[in-house]
Amino acid sequence: MDNKIRRIYVPMTESGFYILYCLQQPQHGYGIGQQVKQMTGGELVISAGTMYGTLSKMEKDGLIVFVREEEKRKLYQITSLGTEILNLEIHRIERLYKNSRGENVNE
Amino acid sequence: MNSKKWIIRFFTVADYEEEEIWLREKHKNGWKLVKTFPPCFYVFESCTPEDVVYRLDYKNNTESSDYFQMFADYGWECFNRYLGWLYFRKPVSETDTEQDAEIFSDDVSRIDMADHIVKTRLLPLVIIFFCCVLPNFIICINESDPFADFLTIVFAVLFFLYLYLIFHCGSKLRRLREKYSKRS
Repeated sequence: MDNKIRRIYVPMTESGFYILYCLQQPQHGYGIGQQVKQMTGGELVISAGTMYGTLSKMEKDGLIVFVREEEKRKLYQITSLGTEILNLEIHRIERLYKNSRGENVNE
Repeated sequence: MNSKKWIIRFFTVADYEEEEIWLREKHKNGWKLVKTFPPCFYVFESCTPEDVVYRLDYKNNTESSDYFQMFADYGWECFNRYLGWLYFRKPVSETDTEQDAEIFSDDVSRIDMADHIVKTRLLPLVIIFFCCVLPNFIICINESDPFADFLTIVFAVLFFLYLYLIFHCGSKLRRLREKYSKRS
């Protein structure tokens, strides 16, 4: 993996993480926003500009790919590079979670 | 037939937050923005006074076809495009939370927009200043025929205008960036 990509996305913002996570299934921006709202009990709202900007950036960096258009909405899906980044993040967050609870990370 | 009025007001590329507040106030007073024309003309139409949030996004015409659909899905009305800027509005009554009234939900996106303005607006201004305005101003000062005197005045005006814009926008965008990065 490109070191530059890694530097940009690990760690990533909470919005970025949820967007990438949701794109394991093909989805469009507004759909992702709704899904994230539901997953976080309405606490994490991703606004239109942030959603559009993040999707454009992730597409440019090859983390996600455009799959098709439905009623003027672009549907994206995660790529293998995106999955790699997502797994790095999940691993990092798991470690963070364990440490925050005083559990031994090296077990 | 709703009555219309033209207003002249000058906002630089760094004053978008002030412009949003100004447009919201206008709408509260029963005037909604219809269209803008360069360099500083605003056309308003009389309307029922209402609290409506205005937001400006700077895309420099790079937005793709789904951009408008995405904002529409989020309840934003895009009613004006102006030199790379997109104007959105949404009635406060249609927002559930404070974040519903924002087009950016994190400061990283706000910083990205400020950087985009610096790269595509401020930087060209600096380049034109150093490659065209400044050298021509110096050349005109050293000439002594009447036509050169006239040009000296023209370039003097441009010289101070550019200097003001570069310093005003430069320092303001830096302050905005600092504000955003401190919060995030």
